Amino acid sequence: MAPAAGDQPILSVRGLTRSFGDQVIVRDLDLQVNAGERVALRGPNGSGKTTILRCITGALIPTAGEVRVGGHEAGSQAASRELGASLSQDRSFYLRLTGHENLLFFAQLRHGSRAGALAQVRALVEELEIEDIVAKRLDSCSTGMLQQVGFARALLGAPHLFVLDEPTRSLDQGAKGRLWAALERRPETAVVIATHLPDDVEHCGRHVDLRS
Amino acid sequence: MALTRRDIQVYLSYRFMMTLDLWIGVLDVIVYYFISETFEGAASADLGNAPSYFAFALVGIAVTVVIEATSVGVGSKIREEQLTGTLEALVAQPIKTTEMAVGLCGLPFAISTLRVAIYILLGAIAFGLDLSNTDWAGFVVMLVLISTAMSAIGIATAAVVLAIQRGQTVAGLAIFAMTLISGAFFPVSVLPDWLEAIGNLMPTKFAFDGFRSALFEGSGWEDDALMLLAFSVTAVPLAIWLFDRAMLLARRWGRLAQY
Repeated sequence: MAPAAGDQPILSVRGLTRSFGDQVIVRDLDLQVNAGERVALRGPNGSGKTTILRCITGALIPTAGEVRVGGHEAGSQAASRELGASLSQDRSFYLRLTGHENLLFFAQLRHGSRAGALAQVRALVEELEIEDIVAKRLDSCSTGMLQQVGFARALLGAPHLFVLDEPTRSLDQGAKGRLWAALERRPETAVVIATHLPDDVEHCGRHVDLRS
Repeated sequence: MALTRRDIQVYLSYRFMMTLDLWIGVLDVIVYYFISETFEGAASADLGNAPSYFAFALVGIAVTVVIEATSVGVGSKIREEQLTGTLEALVAQPIKTTEMAVGLCGLPFAISTLRVAIYILLGAIAFGLDLSNTDWAGFVVMLVLISTAMSAIGIATAAVVLAIQRGQTVAGLAIFAMTLISGAFFPVSVLPDWLEAIGNLMPTKFAFDGFRSALFEGSGWEDDALMLLAFSVTAVPLAIWLFDRAMLLARRWGRLAQY
């Protein structure tokens, strides 16, 4: 896939404010992320990390300000093609299907052809060493296993920006290693993660501190 | 196609419910057969082109399955996606709202078509339903048009569910009332005049009449098909537009996921 656009940042957040009713969760946030950069959004529970990520994926529309991904308005089809997200993994899968069936479904939404989607899922499953996990129905998987499938889903379609919500929260050491290794193999892809774990922050070149 | 394939996979995973759905329909067919036998020879109302009350009611059962699946079923599906959190994951994918709306209708169409075929075959094989005059092309055209027309109601219901997190129950009641007064299980001619007038205006009336014409007369379904086509051409784009607006509202209000 070609880079998103010339010199423009892959992610541009300007004056982002998001409220729920009277409660302002995120206030006037500016953030620019370039290709290959890794940014950690750090802060305690309730500081708005996940809300920011949801605004980036387009699941939420900002109350004020704008979010652009690869130059496109967040939530548009073009912007969604630029990013791979892994948010609230344990609630965003079809639990009565296997991991493989889930990944194939989401791959097809990005890829179109079933054969292409199948090849991509096979390659990812092999890379992340999750063959045993994806063979199971997801309602029999642990949170950590679901998290690994969620990460695999974020990699589908070779996006230019990964948006990951507490990506290592429930992972064992081996799975954490595979996750960071997979990101290392994609040096051109920008990463924005929400975390409160020092280990995750260390893997990022830059961090943004949020306050509750 | 991917959305439909996924829905079919999930549906097949509920084997007990799937079998139960089918058997409830079969039970309906049997019950109406014996009701028909009970009143055979009694003075009857105008059954239109159906040769017996059983034939009349069988079409009522079959078409109601399609109507309910493609209308209420679609609204319930979007609510399920909202509750389980998968809707938010779907929205993060590069698909159009139109594709999502149309994709939601795939499973109801596939399953209800299969069930209609089973009930009609059961009527013919077990209860002597005469299909010698059936216009099979008309049968297929009517089935597709009924599904398409009712999908508009389903997509509109999904839009309401997205916006207010409720609505599928009200839609279910409305659809039940529509089918009842438009000739599912008794002719509209037995209704009070004012109710008959309303029943004659319902799109479901054209569904029942056209399907019976195709199945029992082999002709005369074309006008009903045209009415359903006109309804579909008007209502489906409107419903998709509503769904798109509702999706925007849900993103603005933060209601894509509700768990």
